[in-house]
Amino acid sequence: MARMKFLCDVERCIDCNGCVVACKEGNQVPVGINRRKVVTINAGQPGEKSISVSCMHCADAPCIAVCPVDAIYQREDGIVLVNKEVCIGCGYCFMACPFGAPQFPKGNVFGARGAMDKCTYCAGGPVETFSDQERRLYGQNRIAEGKVPLCAAMCATKALMAGDGDVIADIYRQRVFERGSGANAWGWNKAYDKK
Amino acid sequence: MRKNCVSFLGLVLGLAVIALAAVWSPVWGQVAGKVAARPSIADFQQLMAAVVTADWQGSGQFFIMMQRVFSPLFMGVLVLMLVLFAVHYLLVGSKSFAHDGEKVFYYSVLCRLVHALAAASFTVLVISGLLIIFGKVFHGGELVRTARFFHAPAAVVFVPVSLVLFLLWVRDMLPAAYDLDWLLVFGGYLSRKKITVPAGKFNPGQKSWFWLAVAGGLVMAYTGYCLFSFSGDLPALRLAAVIHNLLGVVLLVMFMIHLYMALFAIKGSLQSMLTGYKSAEEVAQMHSEYWRRIS
Repeated sequence: MARMKFLCDVERCIDCNGCVVACKEGNQVPVGINRRKVVTINAGQPGEKSISVSCMHCADAPCIAVCPVDAIYQREDGIVLVNKEVCIGCGYCFMACPFGAPQFPKGNVFGARGAMDKCTYCAGGPVETFSDQERRLYGQNRIAEGKVPLCAAMCATKALMAGDGDVIADIYRQRVFERGSGANAWGWNKAYDKK
Repeated sequence: MRKNCVSFLGLVLGLAVIALAAVWSPVWGQVAGKVAARPSIADFQQLMAAVVTADWQGSGQFFIMMQRVFSPLFMGVLVLMLVLFAVHYLLVGSKSFAHDGEKVFYYSVLCRLVHALAAASFTVLVISGLLIIFGKVFHGGELVRTARFFHAPAAVVFVPVSLVLFLLWVRDMLPAAYDLDWLLVFGGYLSRKKITVPAGKFNPGQKSWFWLAVAGGLVMAYTGYCLFSFSGDLPALRLAAVIHNLLGVVLLVMFMIHLYMALFAIKGSLQSMLTGYKSAEEVAQMHSEYWRRIS
């Protein structure tokens, strides 16, 4: 079975945040919840690099390991999803995640956190596919339609790739081979006046 | 001399709580912001990973490892304690004292009221906490979520009440020389015979529960507040979760012992907490130093 993965090509990401907007808009994600974010280092300086980060749907997901109510599960194709009806909002998954993927809505009883929300790989949730409930709770189910997630589909430079892990690893390897790496990449010596 | 002891103890306690909080909020892991002169993609990926994942390999992996330990630990402790109580009750049994004889006034109305409030809120804390720990068994959802929603408000009640309780009883709960003698016979709790044991108004068992519940309760409240509000940085949050759970085990053990002693091992304890009076025979035997002082 093909395992679904994300890969953000750091060389191509231009920090346009198109992926962030596409995800928010397409899944109607509420204000305050950020399923996807772009992290930039050395902003404005030579050597500026950006990467688009969301839930990475880890093979050995730490969030699944620590959940006290077993609300998080992993599908056959590797996509990690949360069952919002079981989740109690304790936040352990956030503490276990290396990427800060789990997000929590506020405003419950005594100001407590609500059920966890995160990137679903545009694969909906444990409720009936294409149902109204799925759309409201989890957002779009593009995987069931045979489409890639919104973020990867939207990416202007095709920095963010999503799909079969083997396939996108191959694409990335091909890119690295053809363009060179780091500051040796084509065009950099012109852009930053390197000798 | 006494007053100095009390204020010194209070100062040490307060400082200990603050020191605990300060020392255990470290920033683990540093992020390198520089690249080599001719960086490769691997260098950039490492930089990104350092920024994105922060200290996950340090505190994150530690937290994940510890979290897997908590519910088996709680289960083991619960079963062990119940077995120990059953064995104790079969081998040693309970102690009862004459109810119709002379009575000694022990607990004022205020003490009883404050203790009742503390007991009620603490019970809610323990039960809701256990429901969260064993959330899998209850299949999460509405029940466990409701338990979690009650956990924090119960703490908001418990903390001030326990501080009042602390102030009411702290002078009687200070360690004394004869406490060592009590410990040597383990308060007579390991023998069926009724022997006279040296203890003040409160015996070392009660004293240890008092200090643990108040000080431990404050640490639980602080770490619990961090967990509830997600305040502080991520390594501190992870440490707070570990401390909260481990200290919870310790408090649970003492709480169970307290319940066993009060409800099963020493007959009439509950009565004395409701009426405020203990039987004179009990005071003379179980709190002989106090008996000597008041008679």
